[in-house]
Amino acid sequence: MTTSALYTHFARHAGGAGLKGASTHYCAGCGHGLAHKFVAEALVELGVQDRTIMVSPVGCAVFLFYYFDTGNTQAAHGRAPAVALGHKLANPEAIVVSYQGDGDLAAIGLAEIMHAAQLGIPISVVFVNNAIYGMTGGQMAPTTLTGQWSTTTQDGRGPLQGAPMRVSEVIAQSDGAMYVERCALFDQKQRKRCKNAIKKALRLQLEGRGLGFVEILSECPTHWRMSSREAEAHVRDVLSTVFPLGVIKDEERQPWFTLPKPDFSPERVLAAIGASDAAPPRHCRGFPEHIDAADVSIKLAGAGGDGAQTAALLLTKAAISEGFDSTHIPSYGPESRGGTSYADVHVAREEVLSPGAPEPHALVAFNAPSLEKFASTVRPGGLVIYDSSVIRTVPDVAAGVRVVPVPCTAIARELGNARVKNVVALGALQEALRLLEPASLLAALGRSLAGKSEWIAVNEEAFRRGGSAAAGRS
Amino acid sequence: MAQERAEVVLNPELCKGCGRCIDACPKHAISLGAEINQSSGMSPVGIDYGVCNHCGLCITACPEPHGLGHHQYDFTRRADAQSRPESVPPRRIPLPELEPVVLEGNHAAAIGAILAGCRHVFGYPITPSTEGAELMARLLPQLGGVFLQACSEVATVNHMYGCGGAGLPTMTFTSSPGFSLMLEGISYLIGAELPGVFVNVMRPGPGLGYIGPEQSDIKLVCRGLGHGNTHAIVLAPTSPQEMLDLTFAAFELAFRYRNPVVVAADGYLGQITGRVSLPDSMIEPGLPGWAVWGDKAHKGNLNTSILQDWAELERHNERISAKYREMERREQRSATYRAEGAHTLIIAAGTPARMAKAATARLRREGRSAGLFQPVTLWPFPIDALREPLKRAERLVVVEASDGQLEDELRLALQKANIGGIPIHHLRHMGGILPTVDEIYDTVRHVTEVEH
Ligand code: SF4
Repeated sequence: MTTSALYTHFARHAGGAGLKGASTHYCAGCGHGLAHKFVAEALVELGVQDRTIMVSPVGCAVFLFYYFDTGNTQAAHGRAPAVALGHKLANPEAIVVSYQGDGDLAAIGLAEIMHAAQLGIPISVVFVNNAIYGMTGGQMAPTTLTGQWSTTTQDGRGPLQGAPMRVSEVIAQSDGAMYVERCALFDQKQRKRCKNAIKKALRLQLEGRGLGFVEILSECPTHWRMSSREAEAHVRDVLSTVFPLGVIKDEERQPWFTLPKPDFSPERVLAAIGASDAAPPRHCRGFPEHIDAADVSIKLAGAGGDGAQTAALLLTKAAISEGFDSTHIPSYGPESRGGTSYADVHVAREEVLSPGAPEPHALVAFNAPSLEKFASTVRPGGLVIYDSSVIRTVPDVAAGVRVVPVPCTAIARELGNARVKNVVALGALQEALRLLEPASLLAALGRSLAGKSEWIAVNEEAFRRGGSAAAGRS
Repeated sequence: MAQERAEVVLNPELCKGCGRCIDACPKHAISLGAEINQSSGMSPVGIDYGVCNHCGLCITACPEPHGLGHHQYDFTRRADAQSRPESVPPRRIPLPELEPVVLEGNHAAAIGAILAGCRHVFGYPITPSTEGAELMARLLPQLGGVFLQACSEVATVNHMYGCGGAGLPTMTFTSSPGFSLMLEGISYLIGAELPGVFVNVMRPGPGLGYIGPEQSDIKLVCRGLGHGNTHAIVLAPTSPQEMLDLTFAAFELAFRYRNPVVVAADGYLGQITGRVSLPDSMIEPGLPGWAVWGDKAHKGNLNTSILQDWAELERHNERISAKYREMERREQRSATYRAEGAHTLIIAAGTPARMAKAATARLRREGRSAGLFQPVTLWPFPIDALREPLKRAERLVVVEASDGQLEDELRLALQKANIGGIPIHHLRHMGGILPTVDEIYDTVRHVTEVEH
């Protein structure tokens, strides 16, 4: 007696009423029923029925869940492998089967199946190829034969519609697909092979070795306009010459798929986030009211790689550890990878509202285009610091704006590391603006260099030299 | 020999007469039937039991699971109804009092998700949201989680459909063009009633547009979540702090309603770095009873959005619709700033609400009667909280980074609430330009003076 993972009563088929509760929705002679039976038997024989999730496609097998006494998920058209991967990653113990037809897998879902096959996360794919769209009424499939009639190839599939796609051969090219076989259902020998192939693909998954892919050449008597027995003969004599039967790929791979259990220990989570209950020491006595009563804004601008963003972030971090509110917003996108890059920083007593700095209190410019672009935006009474090693001419600025040249690049080179020019500029900014305390910035610098202690000395020196230059002491 | 074999039995009502068994029978005992079965309307095959030796090969050839077997099919038999297991509720784990951290908005949302118990993240890189995926790819392996980079946004949302369907918290980061691609899957999530969190860091369109900040998808997230009668709670943060808080909250909402939740942030909010206080607890997810988990207890579960019976599909829609109504009743969120008694009420969400707040403060300093009403849920629109400030307001000024998409939501909400007659002015920017404090200030002064 055959045991099987199919329901004895199809309660979901039309509510299980009458004959529908015991028979499939498939046409007479359709190969899907056989494919179902073989998957169902293999699941039981491997003892995995209870932990199996069948993923139904869109196509004639959309109602797979009427029949399989397993967990069931019904996917959007073509997306079954993506859904299957979601299930497998959620619960690696689950046995996940993506059951798909030719339209679903080989047309709309090509990207999903190719990606899954390349990844090789162990799922099992049953690909039922009957060379036609059944559910929508007999349109051309990617696997429709050359010359074959369909409702969308009235004169037979011609050159404009391309040639039938040999899906298994394509899948076999993928590194993650360990086992690929093409089977058929037209006689006893083929049916036996088909079931064994399905079982082998499932075992591959069970052992965590990789993706198993079984293509089944299946009969669609309805849209082939044949009797069931003619359809069987058609697979035997025609389809299987275009899509040769047999094992296409069978590779050994050591079991590799294991996932750790998700970790919810608060210690681990907080360590990963970098959160701590230790309050950083504060160095500032109060908000820098000499600049603004409530909110100071600064723009740092240069070429990508000048370190404007890093310096801006340091400012933000230092200000926040002093108990102020602070924001940093970068110019982002392709510019920041080589073109001009600027950062707007706000430091507010209570709350930063508008995070941009269209009229900054201070500008730090690392190159001429940045100075050119932003010098005139600095508000009256504000501050401009520019890298006088690389900028020769200074554009007009508003009334009372202090312009402080600092040879950032030259100082950094003297220190043997051109990359610290942004820290030179920070030192100069601190000296000229007195936004925070030097110790706040040096502490932020130290935190950002945690684990790279060899860089601390040169950065601290750069900061000091910048300060001296701005004070006219260099 | 033959006696030891179980008898082969044909269930004529279940035979569709395809005849695939005929060639399978080595004894040629089977033939196509001539009579139509009165209950099935098909012509079942006939078996000559005088010839049949009960080898059973015909059973292997029969596409009908119960067409041929070893016993008469029992039409009265019903499988035991599979009971749904109890849900394992999520666990709230208290956290110590922590110092504020400094986070970029995308990172803040990622950390909000991690604290909400999310260990499964799927995504496809797209500016200006990508840092969220990058941080997840770095942190999740340390926490027994998985970040899978999908082959597209279409695949992303379907990975989420599987993972969320297994009952686990899952999320993605994306931006407008990517979000467009996810709409199909979001419709399926809603149809199958599955949770999932989408952080959409919006950028300008149409088409490729560019990468600056825009509130370009308000229409999409409020009115256009794929095909069908779809809605989802849409949360609009204004700071890295709210990127964390609202993403954290989104998971609870997604599971409470078994529906996706969208965190709609403009591009600035993905990129801005600021001070973030951490919540006082984190979540260890449970396992809902409805999950298709892949074990015996959950075996009877099914995730699907297809319902063949039209009446049943209408009932399904009505049930989902009832959830929407409940969201409208329970989940409206908003914030105000000096809105009480304000004659001019600015309506703004997301980053523009920050500028609007600054402009309001300035107007108030000058003794002008202005206030800010900030929808935190864009859907459901927080119309209930708007009623009170509307009593005194003489005009509204909608400030937004889109071509009136927020204003449309406001107008619809007012209309549905039967509130009319109040003049609505606006200040809009697009393309990545945000309204400035000065512009908002000027606009409010202008509309006030013109009216007077
Ligand atoms: S249309 Fe074809 S594939 Fe679909 S159920 Fe009928 S025979 Fe099977």
